[in-house]
Formats: sequence, C-alpha cells, structure tokens
Amino acid sequence: MAPPPSPDHPSPQLLGQRFLKAGCITQPQLDDALAAQSSPLSTGPDNLIGRILVRLGYLSPPQLRACLVELFTEECRYYRDHPPSSPPILAMRNVEKRLDGRMVLNGIDLEIPRHCITAIIGVSGGGKSVTLKHLIGLMRPDRGQISIDGENLQSLSAKKLQAVRRRFSLLFQGGALFDSLNVYDNVAFPLRETTPIPEHEIRPRVLQALSEVNLAGMDAKFPDELSGGMSKRVALARALVTQPEVILLDEPTAGLDPIIENSIHHLICDTFMRTKTTMVIISHAVPAIFHWCHHVIVLHQGKVRASGPALAVWESSDPVIRQFIHGELDGPIRVL
Amino acid sequence: MFIFLLQTLLASLTPPWRWRNLIKQIHFIGMRSLFVIALTSIFAGMVLALQGFYTLSRFGSEALLGPAVALSMIRELGPVLSGLMITGRAGSAMAAELGIMRIREQIDALEVMGVPPIHFLAVPRFLAGIIVLPLLTSIFDVIGILGGYLVAVQLLGLSSGTYFGGIEAAVAMHDIHTGLIKALCFGIVITWVCSFKGYFARRGAEGVSHATTSAVVLSSVLILVSDYFLTAIML
Ligand SMILES: Nc1ncnc2c1ncn2[C@@H]1O[C@H](COP(=O)(O)OP(=O)(O)OP(=O)(O)O)[C@@H](O)[C@H]1O
Ligand SMILES: [Mg+2]
Repeated sequence: MAPPPSPDHPSPQLLGQRFLKAGCITQPQLDDALAAQSSPLSTGPDNLIGRILVRLGYLSPPQLRACLVELFTEECRYYRDHPPSSPPILAMRNVEKRLDGRMVLNGIDLEIPRHCITAIIGVSGGGKSVTLKHLIGLMRPDRGQISIDGENLQSLSAKKLQAVRRRFSLLFQGGALFDSLNVYDNVAFPLRETTPIPEHEIRPRVLQALSEVNLAGMDAKFPDELSGGMSKRVALARALVTQPEVILLDEPTAGLDPIIENSIHHLICDTFMRTKTTMVIISHAVPAIFHWCHHVIVLHQGKVRASGPALAVWESSDPVIRQFIHGELDGPIRVL
Repeated sequence: MFIFLLQTLLASLTPPWRWRNLIKQIHFIGMRSLFVIALTSIFAGMVLALQGFYTLSRFGSEALLGPAVALSMIRELGPVLSGLMITGRAGSAMAAELGIMRIREQIDALEVMGVPPIHFLAVPRFLAGIIVLPLLTSIFDVIGILGGYLVAVQLLGLSSGTYFGGIEAAVAMHDIHTGLIKALCFGIVITWVCSFKGYFARRGAEGVSHATTSAVVLSSVLILVSDYFLTAIML
C-alpha cells in the first residue's frame, strides 16, 4: 500500500481518494460522492465525505468506521516510521507550576507536532488540564518556557496573544458554555465576535456544526436545559465551528455513552482527515484513543513519562504505562 | 483594583462598540430599578417633609420646608440613596453574574477565543452605570419632591404655592449639577467595585457569595466616603 501523502500538504479530496486506494469504494462511487459533496444542494449538514458515502449506500456505518480506522492506522504507522520534519507548533520547556503549595507540573518538556492528533493521557488529577491551560496562556508557569509557533508565549504583547489565540480553540473540561445564551448563540459566538463572517453565512455553519455532534434541532435550548453530555457536545461544536488551526480538546468524550463517544471520535478523525488540523486531545478513553491519534504523551507525577508515536507508546515496556493502558490495580501507580 | 479601573477606562475608548450589550445593561441597571427607586424616593421625600416640618415649626419657619426638602434631595439624598439602592439591586447581581462566569470558566473561554473579557463584560456595565445613575437620580429627586409635597401640602396644610415657590427660589443650577456629578461618580464606583469583585471571584459558590457580599459592602462604603469628599470639594 502506498504511503499516505505528506501530512504537511492537506487536500480536501484526500479522504475520498484514500478510501478508493484502500479499496473501500470504487471510482464511480467516489465520483458520485464528490459530486454530491460539491453540489450546491448539499451545503447543509452531513457534508462529510464519509457520511455522504453512507447516505448513498456505498458504505455501511461499520464499514466506514473500519475504513477510517484502517486509514488512520496506516497513517499512524507512517508517522512512527517517519518522524515529522517540521518544527512543533507548541512546545513546553521545563515548565513548573505550583498550585496551593503542591507541585502540579514538575518540569514538563513536551512538543506538539503539527498536522497530527496528539493525545495526552495520565491519571486523574495528574495535571493534564493544567498543562493545556498553560499551552494557551490561561495560566502562567512559575518557571520554564512555553512557545507557540516558535514564539515565546510569555513575551507576547496582549494584542499579539489575542491574535494567536484566535488561531486556536479550546474545549474546556466543563464545557464553559455561556449560560445567558442559547445553544445556537453559543456556537455562533466565536464566529460573530472574532470573524467578519456575515450572519447569513454563520447560520448554515452553526447548524452543520450542531448536526455533526448529533444535536440538530437543539439550537433554541439553554445550557441549563442540557444534559452533561449534551453541553459537552455543544462546546465541542463551538470549538470546531471556527475551523481553527489548532484545536485543544479537554476530554471531548468524557461522560458520553459508548455510541456517542464513538461518533465523536469518528467526527474528530473525519475533521482531521479533511483539514489536517493540529489537535490535542486529553482523554481517558484508553485504549480506544490509541486508535485515534498519531502521537501520545503520558503525564505522570507532573512529568512527561513518555512521548512518542501512538504505536510505539502502545508497545512500551515501561511498567507505569503498561499499567495505565491496561487499567490494572497492581503496579507502580498506587491507587488506594 | 485600580489597574482594573484603568483597563476598563482604556477599553471603553477602543472599538468595537457593543451596543446590544450596552443597551441590555442599561435596561438591567436602569429600567428594572425604576420601581425600587420610585418607592424609596417617595417615602424619602415624605419622611423628609415630616421631619423638616417638625423641626422648622419650632423656629416658626415652616415656609422653608420646600427648599429644605428639595435641597437635601437634590444635593444629598437623591444621589446617595439611588447609589445605595442600585448597589443593592443591580450591583450585587452584577458581582454574582460575573462571579459565576468566572468560576464556570466562561471568562477564561472568552479569553481563549480572543475576545477580551474586560471589553466584553466590564465596559458595557461601566458605561451603563455612568449613563443610568444620573438619570435615576433625577427621577429620584422629582418623585422625592412630590412625596414631600404630598405630606407638606396635602397632610400638613402648607400652601402649594409656598412649597413650590420656595423650591423655585432656592434651588440653583449649581445644586443640580452637584447632585448629578455625584450620581455619575457613584455610577463609576458601583460598576467598578461590583465588576471587579465578580471578575476576580474565587473558589466555587462560596467564593461567589463572598464576592457579592464584599462588593455590596465596599461599594456602599465607598459611596458614603466619596460623597463626603465630593461634597467638600463642590460646596
Ligand atoms: N485553579 C487551581 N487552583 C489550585 N489547584 C488546582 C487548580 N487547578 C487544578 N489544581 C490542582 O492541580 C491538579 C491537577 O489538576 P488537573 O485539572 O490538571 O487534573 P487532570 O489531569 O486534568 O485530571 P482529570 O483527568 O480528572 O481532569 C489537581 O490536583 C488539582 O487539585
Ligand atoms: Mg482535567
């Protein structure tokens, strides 16, 4: 099988082409799907190539998932054997942070590769969310350096920092929806406030984003009328709707049922395949998350325990990592 | 805290202007306080007339009742009482709302989206306070004087010509200016203190309730303290 094209050169038709190469579909089927995708009638929801193939009956949903997993695994294998040459988009150097007298981050060194999905895993309370907040400048480190795109985060002026942040989006662990706004306005908020996009173009984008997280028709509800999993998905839609360069997701699948969890992974994978957006996902969905990311960073006791291609970390012989992946009670991590 | 005020001032001068938010806040601080203001002012005016009449009649100068009511209303009670009522009604709500936004990470979310939270949250409240307080104070003054009229003329039998004629002769433009400048300053104090306390709330529900209480206390105290100094300067 041919190696996938370099991740540095995204192309919107990539996914369909690769379905074809992987033998999941035939050329006429792909042509049909691409025609459906580019036809003006299909501007609404469900405009993802994978979903169109399902709608046209060329693939069943499990087949689609199998294809995506296969393509993704292939990409992961490629990633393991060909370390990326471009410099990392985000990097932390020896970052320390003390909160309430406890060393939460104790000399973190990490690099987030461009155009890849990176997963951060680790025990609960291990400082994953704190790390993410440092990456985007919501928290200041006591020591150490954080750089975005090679620029030192601490030395950026407020104006520049604001410009940098508009290239990012962050899904908070708690959702952080604005409770004075309804679901529709929450998702439309970043488009209205940070882009010049006119209202009539915002509407289809918001509706599409909502239907991608299986929440079509919920747009008039207020955050306090939603279940935990629903507000999580609204927040996810809000993070994806601006199509930013980098998406940081703090536990996008926590508190969701296995079916929705799967569809969220599918959505993330699909979004990635279409746009090659750099993503960082904090997740407890071990081992599932290993199927859905290129790169894994394991945090343990305020330090990076392992960082590398998902397949390499999966095969790691480190007892801490082995215990974590398999969820065993015995081992170096003391639970009780 | 002063840095917060400076940031808010600076941000008020920079576009984009969020008219909708401003109007929403004016509605919230102003319109929804009208009833409270009307109620307090009418009783304040009535009690003032009653007390004034009692005191003045000892010296046989009941005719000065109109000016006494009007001047204390316009120069002191109008701005101070409106300020205190707005602190209790709108200031506490402001601190609580911002406090909840803080602890639920909504302020962080604004920051991450590249929407400056001070610009988005504090500025409309600040401007609304500056606009609304002088207006509410004027309403307070008018209704208060009418309350005084009810007691003085309808109840105590003073002639309405004496009451209003005295007011017209005694109240100067300077008095009205003094009152309105005070109201403006109190508008700044209330929105500044209450936004600040809410904006930097900490630690859960308790933190929000603490922020709300201390916002109301500090804002009320600052109103009375600054009232003294403003009076001393403008006398
Ligand atoms: N604002 C804060 N003030 C004080 N301590 C904090 C703060 N935020 C986090 N902590 C502490 O930092 C530690 C790490 O928290 P963090 O939220 O990063 O954990 P996590 O790895 O994201 O866990 P989980 O998987 O459960 O979300 C915790 O022990 C927590 O008590
Ligand atoms: Mg967390």
